[in-house]
Amino acid sequence: MNQLIESAKDIFQNNKAAIIIGYTKDKSGRTKPFIAHNSDEAEKLTFNHHAVNNLAVYLTRLEKPKDGKIGIVAKGCDIRAINALIQENQIRRDDVLIIAMNCNGVVENQNEEFSKENTQIKCKYCQLRTPNNYDFLLGELEDFELPEDSQQELMNKLEAMTPEERWNFWESQFGNCIKCYACRQVCPLCYCEQCIVEKSMPQWIETSSTTRGNFSWNLIRAFHQAGRCIGCHECERVCPMDIPLTLLTRKMGMIAMKEFNYKHGMNINEPTLIGTYSTSDNEDFIK
Amino acid sequence: MKSFIVTRSQINSLAAELLSKNWSIFTQSEDRKRFKQCESESEISVDGNGKPSDVSFKELFFPKSETLFYFNRDNEELTLLDPAEPGTKTVIFGAKPCDAASVPVLSKVFNWDYNDEFFNKRVENTIVISIACSYSDESCFCTSVGLSPFSEIGSDLFLIPTEKDSFILKIVSEKGEKFINEFPFMIQKEFEGTFDLENQKASFPKEKFDFASVKEWLGKNFKDEIWNEVGELCLGCAQCAYVCPTCHCFDIVDENCGVSCGRRVKNWDSCQFGLFTKHASGHNPREDQSRRYRQRVNHKFNYYKQRFDEILCTGCGRCTRGCPVSIDIAQVLEKIQCKQSAAIV
Ligand code: SF4
Ligand code: SF4
Ligand code: SF4
Ligand code: SF4
Ligand code: SF4
Repeated sequence: MNQLIESAKDIFQNNKAAIIIGYTKDKSGRTKPFIAHNSDEAEKLTFNHHAVNNLAVYLTRLEKPKDGKIGIVAKGCDIRAINALIQENQIRRDDVLIIAMNCNGVVENQNEEFSKENTQIKCKYCQLRTPNNYDFLLGELEDFELPEDSQQELMNKLEAMTPEERWNFWESQFGNCIKCYACRQVCPLCYCEQCIVEKSMPQWIETSSTTRGNFSWNLIRAFHQAGRCIGCHECERVCPMDIPLTLLTRKMGMIAMKEFNYKHGMNINEPTLIGTYSTSDNEDFIK
Repeated sequence: MKSFIVTRSQINSLAAELLSKNWSIFTQSEDRKRFKQCESESEISVDGNGKPSDVSFKELFFPKSETLFYFNRDNEELTLLDPAEPGTKTVIFGAKPCDAASVPVLSKVFNWDYNDEFFNKRVENTIVISIACSYSDESCFCTSVGLSPFSEIGSDLFLIPTEKDSFILKIVSEKGEKFINEFPFMIQKEFEGTFDLENQKASFPKEKFDFASVKEWLGKNFKDEIWNEVGELCLGCAQCAYVCPTCHCFDIVDENCGVSCGRRVKNWDSCQFGLFTKHASGHNPREDQSRRYRQRVNHKFNYYKQRFDEILCTGCGRCTRGCPVSIDIAQVLEKIQCKQSAAIV
């Protein structure tokens, strides 16, 4: 990825950013998040089909550097998260330097080769393979039709269920949750300084990993993503229990699209869905 | 203690008999996510070649949520009620040496200044049948923490695959001996040869760091830039702690079950959460992730050794495999060892 390293070095040499959040390959060959602080460290940057992480999560987690912008290597889905954070006034466009990557899709298993069929689900319905907000755009886009969106089938199946069947489905899924909160920690839109589960005086959400405690947690997190989730699938990727969390967040995104013609993180100048009220808003789906 | 030759079908018969006597049986699930309860003997997995489950079997001894007691207030009268006694008789089939070794390590802390009867009862009621391990990947490091793919520590019985569907069954603990004596068909053919462990060593994962040097460095270097390097990337979830076979922190809370009744419950907790050390005043002595990660490493490779003479880690590599940002704890320790070596010369 010489192009990326060259740009990164140039950024440091001309003081365009204080740090660059990107990916590196570790000595075991894993591609993983990495923060370069100077042009020597920039040599270690890489981008490839295993660059799965949504690095936008670090924008609200890291302390803001005193001496310059935060540079960030970002794929389309990461850009959506950056856009969303700008729309939600969590970061300012001027504080970030976006090194965008044209993206052909990412493969979750580090030992698997890339093919457009074995990319993550999100890549199969991606609309931002060429990012729409950046300072630099790198990488080559391959021309291919997106393969079949494999999540759709399960979504349809859930749709066809009775409420009781659906409850049972989620009960068996959430029953596995161990409350590691990895889903929250990787989510670029779970940036609350104090998450609702940390409100402990009194405890708002039960900390127990029981059916009741797990439902409270998993549902509240899903609700907090209503019309906000930008579909990076990070929560689902990291869940040690493989709970299909994005079925909920994606579904709510689809409702936001259908009812309000709104998709979060697509345009930094658009007011957020949750933050605006219009008398012409569609209400007939509220029963 | 003695060893015997057993076949896969004998192991299945053992499982079938246990099930018919209402024992609970656990084994690794097919997708190697976790240990699951078996309903039929055909489900049991004794596979030395398989990956360690993503989540360890710790929850069988130390459940993610455990009721300590129930309380009920009727007018002015308060009554307390014990939960059901923990631990039906249980056998775990096909644990890895890096699973089994966690049980005695955990026992130390759960019997420190207080004997945790819930934990102890479960250990007492459980037979761990482990299997020698022929798997290893870039995340494994059992050999760096004094264990190996053939460690019998924490097992009651130990299987070594010999040829197809045939195993050496070693009796490791007295509990294991008493157990297996109840099943005479398992101890008919005594193994009289010697098993050559030396021969196997070439295929063990190679040692990644020297524990003694790591511990020494940790004891002397509380403040160091390495914690910022890792802390900057670590997201502070508890994936690593919750999949770990040895992490054992918990939080005790009261929860309501109705208007006038409730329960006191012990839930998993982790030093990787900010809330873990947050004082009521709002002050947090471990205010950022670098301090929390430092605590994790010190607890495992320094403090626990000091206090209990055990390493709080079995080298199973689960935390690394599952980390959302692929932080490799063995690589961190390797770096620490380099720092220690550099300090010596
Ligand atoms: S969702 Fe789109 S931008 Fe994101 S990794 Fe997949 S193909 Fe790339
Ligand atoms: S990542 Fe999975 S197991 Fe962990 S808290 Fe979220 S849903 Fe539960
Ligand atoms: S809810 Fe999941 S898919 Fe949506 S933005 Fe957060 S991590 Fe990404
Ligand atoms: S779950 Fe809700 S309260 Fe918690 S961090 Fe996410 S959005 Fe905030
Ligand atoms: S090391 Fe990885 S798994 Fe552990 S808290 Fe940090 S991000 Fe989470």
